[in-house]
Amino acid sequence: MDRTDTLPPEIELAQLLQRCAARDSGAFRTLYDKTSPILFARLLRMLRRRSVAEEALQEVYVRIWERAVQYEAHRGRALAWMVTIARYCAIDLMRRERLTLVGDDALADIADDSGGESNGFDKPNNFDHCIGQLSENARKCLTLAFVEGRSHDEIAQLTTSPLGSVKSWIRRGLLSLKQCLSDGRQAA
Amino acid sequence: MKIRDRELVDRLAGEYVLGTLRGRARRHFERWLVSPQVGSMVKAWEERLAGLEPAVERVAPSAGVWKGIESRLGLRAREHTPAARWLALAASLLLFGIIGFFAWRQPLPTTQSVSIGETNGTIYWQVELLGENQELSVQVRNAHALEAGKAHELWILPASGNPVSLGLLPASGEAHRTLTAAQRAALVGAKQLAVSLEPAGGSPTGLPTGPVLHVAPLQPA
Repeated sequence: MDRTDTLPPEIELAQLLQRCAARDSGAFRTLYDKTSPILFARLLRMLRRRSVAEEALQEVYVRIWERAVQYEAHRGRALAWMVTIARYCAIDLMRRERLTLVGDDALADIADDSGGESNGFDKPNNFDHCIGQLSENARKCLTLAFVEGRSHDEIAQLTTSPLGSVKSWIRRGLLSLKQCLSDGRQAA
Repeated sequence: MKIRDRELVDRLAGEYVLGTLRGRARRHFERWLVSPQVGSMVKAWEERLAGLEPAVERVAPSAGVWKGIESRLGLRAREHTPAARWLALAASLLLFGIIGFFAWRQPLPTTQSVSIGETNGTIYWQVELLGENQELSVQVRNAHALEAGKAHELWILPASGNPVSLGLLPASGEAHRTLTAAQRAALVGAKQLAVSLEPAGGSPTGLPTGPVLHVAPLQPA
């Protein structure tokens, strides 16, 4: 995996998306070249199997092309917008394929990276503080769900915890995170 | 929405964004996304949970993926034969002739005014849509660089579907034309105009063929 090159500049990605909205297929190809390795790695984390992740990647770019006109530069960052499309796409695919992913760690080599390149997302203010306030269990469940796309059942199996506990850690974790982040905003 | 319901929907929105809302519940929730209230709850959760996004990694997909995307979107079908290009060019010239012949001028109130230019503030064209999008008036503010044999073409980016041409942009002075029913229809709900670089005479295919140089939002006057 190549981690040496830097992220494509946001302004460039935003302009490419606008040109895609104008049906500029050359711009779409450039956008694909610049971003597909990033989105593919993100999909692999969730879907694990290369063939399934490639199918998802195709669907992701079809959606990006079709929805480019909905991308409005002022409403968020371009790469974050595309990664969000990729995440939802991966979840849809899991649903359709009824993939059972627990224990299939053929591509786990990409799942142990930490502290790498910044990801083009704006972390909410106070996020690190707020995530640190959660219980270890809640933090682990939220990360497994968000980053790897694991379902309640899968998280219960992976963490050898009762399903009911997993559901309540997630529910309480989300609630505390929301509360803490909004307190931070009021304090700021 | 009652407060009790709002709490429930917000909880579902959180699990939707997190990805733990699955199966029938997820499909059911997606039907609510058309509601602006639910949409903004989802957006807020996307912003909150963005903090969980891991550091960027890269893995190259195989070349077949791009080929699949190209064929699903029909991007290759856009390349037309030379004969088809000439036919399209002749048809568009004829259309402009007809529009010019029937164009009548009477002052209409401006409904939308759009500046097209650089982010640094340089405006090249001031585009005005008059009446109920019945007429278009374009004024050159600053001359845009243009190589010989090329032209700037103005496009509507409709709410859905392909761009619709608004014709060529003048290199100097101003231009005034009456819009067709198709152009007026494309303007309904459209949020942006775009300018592409085309061969002199305009796009031979009826869709932008050259690079898109500028995109400008449509704003009510």
